[in-house]
Amino acid sequence: MPIVDLQNIRKVYGSKVAVEGLTLSIEPGSMYGLLGPNGSGKTSSIRMMIGMTIPDSGTVNLFGQPFNRSLLTRVGYLPEERGLYKKMKVLDQLVFLGSLHGLDTSLARKRSLEWCERLQIADVVNKKTEALSKGMQQKIQFIASLLHRPELIIMDEPFSGLDPVNAQLLMDELLDQRARGRSVLFSTHRMDQVEKFCDSIALISRGKLLLSGTMREVKSKYPRNRVQITFTGKENLAAHPAVAEARIGEGIAELQLYNGDDACHLLADAIGYGTQITRFEVTEPTLEDIFIENVKASFGDADSGGAVDA
Amino acid sequence: MHNPFLHNVWLIARREYLERVRTKGFMFATVLIPTLMGTLVFGSLLLMTTSKTQSHIAVVTSDQNFGTDLRHQLEAGRDADMKVDVYAPSDAIRDQLVREIHNRNSTLAGYLWVTPATSPGKNPDLAFTARSVGDIATKTTLEVAINSVLMRERLAANHVPAADIDTLMEPVKLDTSATGDTTTAFNAAYMLFFLMYMVIMLYGMNTARSIIDEKTSRIFEVLLATIKPDELLAGKILGVGAVGLTQIGVWMVGAFAILNSGLSHNLSPKGHPIISSAQIGFFVLYFMFGFLIYSSVAAALGAMTNSEQELQQLNMFLVIPLAFCMVMIFAIIRAPDSGLATVVSLIPFCSPLLMNFRISLTHVPAWQINLSVMLMSFTVAIILWFASRIYRVGILMYGKKPSLVEMLRWMKYS
Repeated sequence: MPIVDLQNIRKVYGSKVAVEGLTLSIEPGSMYGLLGPNGSGKTSSIRMMIGMTIPDSGTVNLFGQPFNRSLLTRVGYLPEERGLYKKMKVLDQLVFLGSLHGLDTSLARKRSLEWCERLQIADVVNKKTEALSKGMQQKIQFIASLLHRPELIIMDEPFSGLDPVNAQLLMDELLDQRARGRSVLFSTHRMDQVEKFCDSIALISRGKLLLSGTMREVKSKYPRNRVQITFTGKENLAAHPAVAEARIGEGIAELQLYNGDDACHLLADAIGYGTQITRFEVTEPTLEDIFIENVKASFGDADSGGAVDA
Repeated sequence: MHNPFLHNVWLIARREYLERVRTKGFMFATVLIPTLMGTLVFGSLLLMTTSKTQSHIAVVTSDQNFGTDLRHQLEAGRDADMKVDVYAPSDAIRDQLVREIHNRNSTLAGYLWVTPATSPGKNPDLAFTARSVGDIATKTTLEVAINSVLMRERLAANHVPAADIDTLMEPVKLDTSATGDTTTAFNAAYMLFFLMYMVIMLYGMNTARSIIDEKTSRIFEVLLATIKPDELLAGKILGVGAVGLTQIGVWMVGAFAILNSGLSHNLSPKGHPIISSAQIGFFVLYFMFGFLIYSSVAAALGAMTNSEQELQQLNMFLVIPLAFCMVMIFAIIRAPDSGLATVVSLIPFCSPLLMNFRISLTHVPAWQINLSVMLMSFTVAIILWFASRIYRVGILMYGKKPSLVEMLRWMKYS
């Protein structure tokens, strides 16, 4: 039974189609990456998932039931637009947000203190929120979305604006949540994190789903046709007939072949040409490659016919 | 509280209330507003009763008695403390006075030229030349003084004893000890009117500001992930309103403490309370309706705008009806039972201020009070319905200001 199940949802604002026939499902205990360029409909989709807006058509199921507001106490949400009451003290703020999620005051207070300890901000619990750095405020909001131990955690761009140390800290917490059997959905532009940690992804652009599935499924659709070479001396790689695209830098070449099987010919020919190769690696495309390729294609389609923006 | 709507409204209202009541701004307003208002009201009353006209004028008359009496009246009268020179008429005097009145260094404010009456029983011709045409205080005081001098002279000429004249010239006093002092009661009603006007204005704007605050701090998205916009709107209005009631409550308690402490026996003679408990009851009732009406309008305005500056441009929607009440109050003072007064005090936007004011002034029939409450409840329901729709869509819109057409379209969204 999927935790989130969107079937063919559609949302139109005035004349702008925000989401067009989106279908996706998130399995329990998985980490799900929602990818897409700016303005692609990620936030609109998330808002419909938690009933902030209602789809014009299509169905939203949470925890195997049709959406209803009482299910929201089982969801934790970190919006992309961060916001806290500036004048409120950190602890009061966390307790307030916790009680909105159905916790009683003393439990909310106890858990808030534990979390602040964990995320190394215990010393600021009695300060006003406006006195804190942006990173600390982000941690507070992160805590607020997890206080009620939600089974589904939805985070819109959770790491934007964080330094690498704190981004890692929060990522570890999300991995810990997954290890406890909770489902995590997050949207991000940071493909390296998605690639490393997500079990499944969905890529949307212009309100439409371009591809989705487990990381394996997605990647297996793309051949191992990328070659990375580290070399010294002269080279003639870009001219080789097997090479479709080449990016040659100082001693490093990133190539895309028409057919991955030609890699050994390329290697033989390069050595024959006299290039001194210190590293030669055949890889599958990175998620970033897939992202860029698909998004570019989706914009090309739109230009040539299917108008998403009316 | 198992009803999630009530529970969420309660949480929002409680936070709003506690955060506001704890601010220094609230403490200051609670102490400063009555202090300032008291200082202004009592200060101006004090100035009005104690200040006397102090101009320097000249009186030119051939009637020596009239000159002396008028001088006495103006230099030591009830409301004058002038300096008066009396001259006998001559061309030299006229030239001197004309010169003096055009001399910047002279203190002379004007001169009165008295030409004796041509026949007995007529008043003399009185010509007053003032340095400044706008000097209304001197002119008025002079008129009153001349009147009373002439009256005294005429009464004395008719052989009325001096003691009788003094008694006649005293202002009469009405004994109202059976019902309490009318003037004090009127002043109290007037003060309550202004209090309500200020508090409705202040807290209406506070509701709008609080919504804009949440919009600019973007906390809405977090809140809306668990609660509905209607709950947020209701909680906000109730929370801010409760702060207003608290403030009024503090003032009322403070006022009672002062009145009962014996500091003010002269304010409330014979133990009649200035403000009756019924008046307070109606005040609270009408304040709540007034606040609900104006704060829901303000909430809609807040949801439509993105900054305080934008709100300022729209706050005429709050100010104009309140200003209308302000104008109407003069008509109501003169005839609190007139048709006009009845009609305007039944307009839901005006009822909170005007009906309450009329209740303080006169005996308003029960059907009018009931009707006004019904009309106000109806209005509140309609405005809240519209406001919650505008709110629902408007709070998630950042950046661009919506057009009227877009706003109408919002009504359809759910």
